[in-house]
Amino acid sequence: MAKVVIIGAGFAGHTAALYLGDALGRDHSITVINRFEDFWYVPSWVWVGIGRMKVDQTRFPLAPVYEKMHIGFVHGRATSVHPDDRYVTVAPDGGGEEQGVDYDYLLIATGPKLNYEATEGLGPAYGFTQSICTAPHAEASRDAYFEQISRMERGEHVRFVIGTGHPSATCQGAAFEYITNIHKDLVRRKLRDKAELRWLSNEQAVGDFGVDGVLARYKGEIVSSESFLSAVFREYGVVWDVQRAVHKVDESTIYWEAADGTYGETPYDFTMLIPQFTGVEMSYVGADGQDVSERLANPAGFIKVDAIYGLPYDRLRTNPTAWPELYQNPYYENVFAAGIAFAPPGPISVPLTTPNGTKISAAPPRTGMVSGITGRIVAKNLIDLIKNGRMSHGERMTEMAAACIASMGDSLWDGSAATIMIYPVVPDFRRYPNEGGRDTFVTHMEMGLGGAWMKRMIQATFMHKLRGRIGWKLIPE
Amino acid sequence: MTKELEFTDRDRARMNNKLIQFFRFIVLNLKILKAVDRSKRS
Repeated sequence: MAKVVIIGAGFAGHTAALYLGDALGRDHSITVINRFEDFWYVPSWVWVGIGRMKVDQTRFPLAPVYEKMHIGFVHGRATSVHPDDRYVTVAPDGGGEEQGVDYDYLLIATGPKLNYEATEGLGPAYGFTQSICTAPHAEASRDAYFEQISRMERGEHVRFVIGTGHPSATCQGAAFEYITNIHKDLVRRKLRDKAELRWLSNEQAVGDFGVDGVLARYKGEIVSSESFLSAVFREYGVVWDVQRAVHKVDESTIYWEAADGTYGETPYDFTMLIPQFTGVEMSYVGADGQDVSERLANPAGFIKVDAIYGLPYDRLRTNPTAWPELYQNPYYENVFAAGIAFAPPGPISVPLTTPNGTKISAAPPRTGMVSGITGRIVAKNLIDLIKNGRMSHGERMTEMAAACIASMGDSLWDGSAATIMIYPVVPDFRRYPNEGGRDTFVTHMEMGLGGAWMKRMIQATFMHKLRGRIGWKLIPE
Repeated sequence: MTKELEFTDRDRARMNNKLIQFFRFIVLNLKILKAVDRSKRS
């Protein structure tokens, strides 16, 4: 009987658990270790952050799903991995002694550590900024947002600044959704004239989203995501500053360095800035107690997999095979990583360096669809390994499609969303020798009420899939 | 070459027209399935 342990039950870990439980749960041991008792549907927290959705609508308990799928569940935080002795230690939720969980195969799918400490004054706990990166943060953002609403109702003018709070932050899509949803909500409340909305981001251009932007056909013409989303911002009265490396925030001002090396300040009344993501802190311990983290993780804490690391950007951009295919650690072949936890070989977007030496480089997004797909690939390969002894699945981000439905108002009557489909996620200039390196027949952008319906439908179908309900395997990640 | 974009009144009306958007909703679903089909999914 093989033992598979999965650390993390987000999109990547939970998707992998479902496939593994379905194929192996009755005959082998599948165990999920997770800090939370619930699965959280993170993409809907933009609506929680403006009070348009209750946080309970974005979660469901994991234990009944795992019981149905013959998966063991340990509610606690993984503290160390012992890859030579093949076990993980877990600090149980609510205290108590650490326990060891043995494995033959390990999937690390922890998601990110929200590294607020990397920027002075960032974050709701020890800083001054709001966040929608966890459920309690999204609720705190909502409360802070309502305070600003009260001010505007009293006739005061409020400055909102939304974007990224670190030069290497990722997940700009969530921030984009938040600022456009704030716009829609303020319009609905007839308070839009009382607010200034500003986008402040480390992207090299509006609409870059850490994927080097998108070129797609729109009304018969090739249009860039920069052009498309600039038009959206103009339409919504959002002003923007990009190529900004935020280095400090205090109670009223955001301090940044621009790509040209100049320093500047942005005053605010309400700000939500996405932090840098790093790997979740765990210790990696070898057979005789030595630190083996260099074999497993990069300096940022992300798990090294079968990528080609260390290539300069120009070479990475023209080498699609530098991106991992199996998500397998090269040193410990029974250790895999999926979702945000795996270390990408480098950025997708053009990295910038200021004259002062500050690197501004939006990190590659590995959330949502990419997380689910990488979780499925690892799960199918583990099923292969356990049943046949060899792996037969693989998909690089240069072979992967992704859809991003960026909500711009949740209402099913007058809401909107920008629907952006990209294939492949990482441009492959060998297969698609055009300006964007992507398939222009699949890559697509549009905006409208239909996108708002899509966003709601996707939440409903994903919650159905991730509960392991009938037909779940038919719904793509 | 990319085109600089401005939304026209016609675009705005199209984005909120329920009938057109229902059609676009169907098209978007098909486009997502096409993207998934093109994806390697090995």
